Amino acid sequence: MQLFEFEGKQLFKNVGINIPQSQLIDGPDQIRIKPPLVLKVQILSGKRADAGGIIKVQSAEGLVQSLKKLFESTINGERVEKILVEEAVEIDKEYYLSFSYSTETRGPVMTFGSGGTGAEQKGAKSYPIDLAHLEGVKAHLRGGIIPEELVDTAIKLWEVFIKYDLELAEINPLVVDKHGQVWALDSKVILDDDADFRREIKFPERNLFGRAPTQREIEARKIDEGDHRGTAGSVYWDLDGDIAVIAAGGGGSIVNMDALLALGGKPANYTEHSGNPPGEKLKKLTKIVLSKPGLKGCWFVGGTANFTDIYETLMGFAEGLREIKPKPTYPIVIRRGGPQDKKAFEALEEIGKKEGFDFHIFGRETPMTSTAKIMVELAYGNISH
Amino acid sequence: MAILVTEKTKVLIQGITGKEGSKVALQMRNYGTKVLAGVTPGKGGQEAHGIPVYNTVKEALENHPGINASFVAVPNFVALGAIKEAIENKIPLINILTEHIPIKDTAIALALAKENNVRIVGPSSIGIISPGIGKVGSIGGDDPRGVFSKGSVGIISKSGGMASEVAWILTKNGIGQSTVVGIGGDVLIGSSFADLMEEFEKDEQTKAVVLFGEIGGTYEEEAADLIKSGKFTKPVAAFVSGLFAETLPSGTKLGHAGAIVYGEKGSYKSKITALEKAGVKLAKTPDEIPNLLK
Repeated sequence: MQLFEFEGKQLFKNVGINIPQSQLIDGPDQIRIKPPLVLKVQILSGKRADAGGIIKVQSAEGLVQSLKKLFESTINGERVEKILVEEAVEIDKEYYLSFSYSTETRGPVMTFGSGGTGAEQKGAKSYPIDLAHLEGVKAHLRGGIIPEELVDTAIKLWEVFIKYDLELAEINPLVVDKHGQVWALDSKVILDDDADFRREIKFPERNLFGRAPTQREIEARKIDEGDHRGTAGSVYWDLDGDIAVIAAGGGGSIVNMDALLALGGKPANYTEHSGNPPGEKLKKLTKIVLSKPGLKGCWFVGGTANFTDIYETLMGFAEGLREIKPKPTYPIVIRRGGPQDKKAFEALEEIGKKEGFDFHIFGRETPMTSTAKIMVELAYGNISH
Repeated sequence: MAILVTEKTKVLIQGITGKEGSKVALQMRNYGTKVLAGVTPGKGGQEAHGIPVYNTVKEALENHPGINASFVAVPNFVALGAIKEAIENKIPLINILTEHIPIKDTAIALALAKENNVRIVGPSSIGIISPGIGKVGSIGGDDPRGVFSKGSVGIISKSGGMASEVAWILTKNGIGQSTVVGIGGDVLIGSSFADLMEEFEKDEQTKAVVLFGEIGGTYEEEAADLIKSGKFTKPVAAFVSGLFAETLPSGTKLGHAGAIVYGEKGSYKSKITALEKAGVKLAKTPDEIPNLLK
């Protein structure tokens, strides 16, 4: 999960990284600190300055107007709800500093370079850090790879990175003022969600990229809560299309979404189930996915499973289908393989006949992605005719 | 001869009394893999499917010095401790099934493994199977025989489900496999495509390799670099998934932790371009792979 600038700075402050005096406001009339100030909208997307989300204010005159204008704006698709008002710092030197994990060195790296927008491209260099000898990291940072005046901040940033289980701890720009004082003027922090269980500080859920989560997204993500038997719905996104997708497998689901899009299919959602979830989870997920109005088809698709019980999961799907009102009349294309698949298909044929579902059932002998074409043709009519 | 899992492989299961560990123990034995012992702290002296259980890895090794591979199926919050124990005891191959291990813990485990010359496959790995010889991990489930067949093509896949699907597509077309490895879809993994391609290069049974890649990270690009450097000389066919993910806002989480793209790095285009330049044949759908191997 990505943090807002003010949240990241709170973590920085906790370990003693120097940040400007500031005030977080959610209305234009709350300013207590004195100009010159920098007004910074608190949104998650980058390049705020280019999009007009960062304004320098020299005097009290016009301050409230500037704030009002910012609070009424939508920047990079995100509504402005909070603004961080900071005392301006006179910048003498500007740098980029971050800790993150690299797939190239398969461990943490410190990245350092001259700062500002696009610092990553401006010759910032990455230095691998040896986690086998944690005690040696501080000495390594003192060893001359960064200017002496920044070493203390780098060590503290490393502490934040490790202490709070971060995937990214970035200061851009990290500046030095005329008096030699070092300041973190921005923060970009990404938490490692897999370490949520042990992180002492909790942050509220946020809207991803300016859109509040839909009711279906909220409901779907609840399915796995407190039940570790397989996963279903913990990753769920509503999309704009009309073909409901219940896909299997973190990898296979993406392969199938690629195939559907390539053929002009418009998915109504993305979701997947993995491991060996009980039928009950699939039933819940099915009801959520198919609650969407205006569907033209439903595609239940997965590869040849290693250990997912196909009978269990498909019967959960059928249970969910039975409870959808009004009864789905659109085509339902199923492609699956794995343990108990034959038994599952026999039972589905029966259910389809009895309930009058428009089932099109395919097993492992039918290529997985070829059923994307079948789905698209059934849902939208054969385009070539 | 196959890679990683051979006739000589003798397995320890860490977390053998847990749900996954116990299930996979039985699967491995039914497929002919030698499972010598298991470890669950506090449950030493018990048995799981007739396999002796010990409190520590050290104890297990004292009683079964032939152990040369460990399968780790413990919960994520104790995974680092379990992996460290296996590394300290110099078990040369560690296959990690556990998902959602904090990235810091994985990074520490990988650094220690490197220092001790231990190979890690995973985390989030479906396992390793050398058809007709044996398997480590849950790959192939209860009965891998219908899906996997013995032959000369190696498969390396970030996705566990797709490792089996690709093996099945090959088997259906009369193409057998030497070894199939699920390397896991996490950001940091112990064995990359390139690491295992070096093993396949040395393996006489393997005549060609299939890579199943995904957006995110740089492992596909690293594989392309290995080929360009001349260190891998056998034919390679590859499939890369994730175009769909790039229609979503940058940073959106999908099925695998590693399948996340920020900007250009790790993008579909970057991977496809690198692999094409290295002379790799790219499949548009997984079902095209058999034709590319002919």
